[in-house]
Amino acid sequence: MKLKSKGITRSFFRKGRNTNFFYALQKTDFELQEGAVTEIVGRSGSGKTTFANILSGFLVPTEGSLYLDGVDLYALRDERRSILRNRHIGMVPQGQTGLQSLTVLENVLAPAMMYGDMKGREALALQYLEEMKISDLCDVYSNELSGGELRRMSIARALINSPEIIIADEPTGDLDDDTTALVLRLFRRLADKGCSVLIITHEQEAIHYADNIYRMENGILSEIK
Amino acid sequence: MKFAFYYSVKNMKRKPLRSALLSALVLLIAFTVFSGAFVIISLQRGLEVYRARLGADIVVVPASATGHGSVDDILLQGITGNYYMSGDICEKVAATEGVEAVTKQFFLTSAKASCCSSRVQIIGFDPDTDFSIMPWIAESYSGTVQDGDVVVGAKIGVPESGRITFYGQEYTIAARLKETGTGLDSAVFANMNTVRKMAVNASSLLKTSPFQGVDIDTAASALLIKVADGYSIEQVTDDINIHITKVKATPAKSMISDISEGLTGTSALIGIIAAVIWAMAVIILVIVFALLSNERKKEFAVLRVMGASRKMLSRIMGTEAAVLGAIGAVIGIILSVLAVFPLSGSIRDMLKLPFFMPDLWVVLLLAAGAFLISVSASVLTALLSAKKITTNDTALLLREDT
Repeated sequence: MKLKSKGITRSFFRKGRNTNFFYALQKTDFELQEGAVTEIVGRSGSGKTTFANILSGFLVPTEGSLYLDGVDLYALRDERRSILRNRHIGMVPQGQTGLQSLTVLENVLAPAMMYGDMKGREALALQYLEEMKISDLCDVYSNELSGGELRRMSIARALINSPEIIIADEPTGDLDDDTTALVLRLFRRLADKGCSVLIITHEQEAIHYADNIYRMENGILSEIK
Repeated sequence: MKFAFYYSVKNMKRKPLRSALLSALVLLIAFTVFSGAFVIISLQRGLEVYRARLGADIVVVPASATGHGSVDDILLQGITGNYYMSGDICEKVAATEGVEAVTKQFFLTSAKASCCSSRVQIIGFDPDTDFSIMPWIAESYSGTVQDGDVVVGAKIGVPESGRITFYGQEYTIAARLKETGTGLDSAVFANMNTVRKMAVNASSLLKTSPFQGVDIDTAASALLIKVADGYSIEQVTDDINIHITKVKATPAKSMISDISEGLTGTSALIGIIAAVIWAMAVIILVIVFALLSNERKKEFAVLRVMGASRKMLSRIMGTEAAVLGAIGAVIGIILSVLAVFPLSGSIRDMLKLPFFMPDLWVVLLLAAGAFLISVSASVLTALLSAKKITTNDTALLLREDT
């Protein structure tokens, strides 16, 4: 499944000396390679997360278009766009993102429950939790988890609908070296199976798993590998 | 829809305090709406029943009957009084031009002593001319009220023996009347012969007889008048007041309009109090939902990341508000029924106005209305908050917390 951006920009209101807005993302054309791990590196505040959120389909760009298999995502109504995002794009957001009213297993299953496609999902959820080494916590509520456990839960959650595109924003931020390697190996394996994986990271280790590497600087994306 | 409901239920269970607070606010709305409407409707119904019971165009009483123990007091509050007009005055009133029909009523207060079962107002009526009490008695009793029989109001307890004692004499209780919501519910009715015999017994038993100088056989406490077609009630009333001394004639509709004015004022006051409580509860609900939405910004952003649409987020908020609102509304209406029904007597005494509880179907309709209003208030305020938060870029909400 192809994900392609054309001329996207994103500005935010922020009072500066001469302006009241700034561009977090300059005009960017980008195509996510299928069956590959793509990485975007860059300093904090360079626009990486803004770009990841736009590519995930839930941050409307100021200008430009995002195409998912030729369909302009941001031209769609919110409900239709949400369904497409849910089915085809798995997002691991930055920060801790557990739903506190749900157990770990329910958290992982939530994206599958949203639009009713639950066939075989519980077994898959348990398999991912096993792989993330938190299957023993499946009945625990997410507010009882540590930062690393929450991160692993949100990775399993992003994969539950078997999406063709995975966008992970700092997925290994809270993880130890062993678990970081475990997660990166998982992404590599998924890419080898045909998934398009985009990782936003500071992690040096991640470079070894990437097919393509980009750098984001002051909202400008440039290819470095 | 399935996920929205599932997630809402999980949320409500996991946040019992938050859920209880929201339900309690809706409970307050439902309680206020139901109680307020119930009291107002009961007062309006009381006035209708009172109007129907009076059945006369003009009421004539002795001039001394104004104030404490007047007809108003007797009918509305059950405050008893003894006052009488002589037979010749009654004849003069009956002879006034424009009077089509006139019927006498004779009031007697029983003593709270060993001679009487209880202290009540006894009203004697003339079966040959009555047009006020007999139609009402006919609703509950198909027979004729014989000499020695009494008919009791809805609030008078009927002993097992079916007999009641006044001034040392036992009387058979022939019937118990339907409730009117007025002082008539605390009165006892008998035909004129029976009441006059009671009066004779009272004269001999009481140290101070209320009948000194009164010819019991011809005297009356009140005259109820029907005005002939073509005559104005006000004109006939004025004629009586001008030409006949020692009496006071009052158009029945002015008695009713006095009550009606009191009722309008009281209803308005109850309505305003209910509206203020309702508005305050709704405002608090809006604030609480706004605060909750703010607190739940990150949760909504996470749901958006997973693919939830704005509509789904609204559905989650709406479902929670509907379920908690329904629970609060049902409890509020039940509490309201438990408070208002047993206290209706006290409310009547406190307001000093005719108070007649509505029929069951009206109560059910009121309950349904209160339920709908309360749940709608809850759902609408929730949706308002949801709309406000979902119109923002949820990706930004996620960043605010990270």
